[in-house]
Amino acid sequence: MNAVLEQISQIFLDLGASIALPILITVFGVALGQKFPKAFRAGLMIGIGFIGIGLIVGLLFGQVGPAAQGLAARFNVNLDIVDVGWPASAAIAFGSQVGAVAIPILLLLNVLLLAVGLTKTLNIDLWNYWHFAFIGGLVAATTGNFLMGIAVACIAMILTLALADWAAPKIQAHYDYPDISFPHGTSAAYALIASPLNWVFDRIPGFNKLKADPDSIQKRFGIFGESLILGFGIGLLLGLAGFGLDEPRADIIAILGLGINLAAVMVLLPRMVAILMEGLIPISDAARAFVTKRLPGRKFYIGLDSAIVIGQPAVIATSLILVPVALLTAIALAPLGNRVLPLVDLATIPFIVALMVPIFRGNIVRSVVGGAIVIGAGLFIATALAPSITKVAENAGFQNETGGLISSLVDGANPMTGLFYLFGNMGWLGIAGLAVGSLAFAVWVRIRGNARVAAEAKAKEPA
Amino acid sequence: MKKILVICGTGVATSTVVAVKIQEHCASQGIQISIAQGKVMDLVRGVEGYDLIVATTPIPESIKIPVIQGLSFLTGIGVERTLEDIVEAVK
Repeated sequence: MNAVLEQISQIFLDLGASIALPILITVFGVALGQKFPKAFRAGLMIGIGFIGIGLIVGLLFGQVGPAAQGLAARFNVNLDIVDVGWPASAAIAFGSQVGAVAIPILLLLNVLLLAVGLTKTLNIDLWNYWHFAFIGGLVAATTGNFLMGIAVACIAMILTLALADWAAPKIQAHYDYPDISFPHGTSAAYALIASPLNWVFDRIPGFNKLKADPDSIQKRFGIFGESLILGFGIGLLLGLAGFGLDEPRADIIAILGLGINLAAVMVLLPRMVAILMEGLIPISDAARAFVTKRLPGRKFYIGLDSAIVIGQPAVIATSLILVPVALLTAIALAPLGNRVLPLVDLATIPFIVALMVPIFRGNIVRSVVGGAIVIGAGLFIATALAPSITKVAENAGFQNETGGLISSLVDGANPMTGLFYLFGNMGWLGIAGLAVGSLAFAVWVRIRGNARVAAEAKAKEPA
Repeated sequence: MKKILVICGTGVATSTVVAVKIQEHCASQGIQISIAQGKVMDLVRGVEGYDLIVATTPIPESIKIPVIQGLSFLTGIGVERTLEDIVEAVK
């Protein structure tokens, strides 16, 4: 069994994601009942998206590398790990050994969990299965064991579904989305961390009374929300810091060049993901139809992308403030061992705070402080994971001639990624520990949920 | 030709789902439209030049362009109704 799997995954590595994924997606689409031309077209689109992302990541590397080296030489600030952001992380995840088979396996697992009643969320947001594939891909790459990677991806899915169920009542009440939950690999873990933080914040005299108004923050910090301006501005600053102005003519040209190139990366990288996404839509639709037909009449939460809460004023305001905060935090933590320079994922901060905000009951001051804490701590996780992420990226066919390291805030800095990576690398015993912990949490959430439903039913009964 | 701006949290993920569905539906009805995608953070400082916004996430109140909620495209519940509303708005 294992030998066959290793053979398959070796073939996959040899082909590279941009060839192998189109084939797999076509086969998967046909298996779900799609006509061949439609499935094949979808497969090709995914391959094209891959190639596009690879090109832009190459551009990012070529541009940031020299400036980061200059920064290290001139200021002794060693921020040499490039944050390639979620667009590249997602592509790396789907392009990893685990990613290739993640969608069908995880979808089946989700249906199984619903059938036995352990979790209540049907995660129809197939795109975001990349978070689980990312964790699994990292473990598979470092242990060299494909099955371990799959196991870790599955456990990450179980824990995330349980987290989505746990947070659902609070989030549904705060945002007013009935019957929706957010089994989002990035956001869900942070919701759990926000809970004890909120308990602490409630008990700090003075601080527990602070509030801020989202509208005035949006007006003042709005500029940090625009990717192209943000990319250009950071490019100029990084260029000035990295190249200096010793030779004004050459340096100004280099600085302006870095500005326009980083602006280009911030705008083009997400566009490439949109192509990847377009290829995934037919599969996602077919899978949803396939599952809902087989689970008729069951009541479950519909699991969606936490992107849909990002427009909430408190989430926008929090994220805007956190952009400069994250940059300054990264520089301040450099002497303590952080090597990640936040770049592409400065535009993804909303996903980190999306589900923390409702736990903080929409309080922006708390959300900013909580967000800064998890980002600051996360930078060390992202630094520690960088060699593995770089390796998985190379396996997926992202060539990196400069030999530098890559990482990301989403999900490279995620505490769940860090935890699963740590235990996954302890071998099967560690993985068993993860499984027991995650299942225990799921059971606890389920019992608690049942008790609440019973209490609500009792309250409705006539006295 | 009417211009529709599809907005979500990233300008990439869920808005692509919505944009593809609107494009397919309008093409099947013989309605010519142009669709752009964007992320909600880009709207904070205002936007112009579009006839309709379809969004999967809340839109800042300062935006004066008509907005249709597109959550149904993601849940799969009530899609026909939303598509009818969109067709009505861009006719």
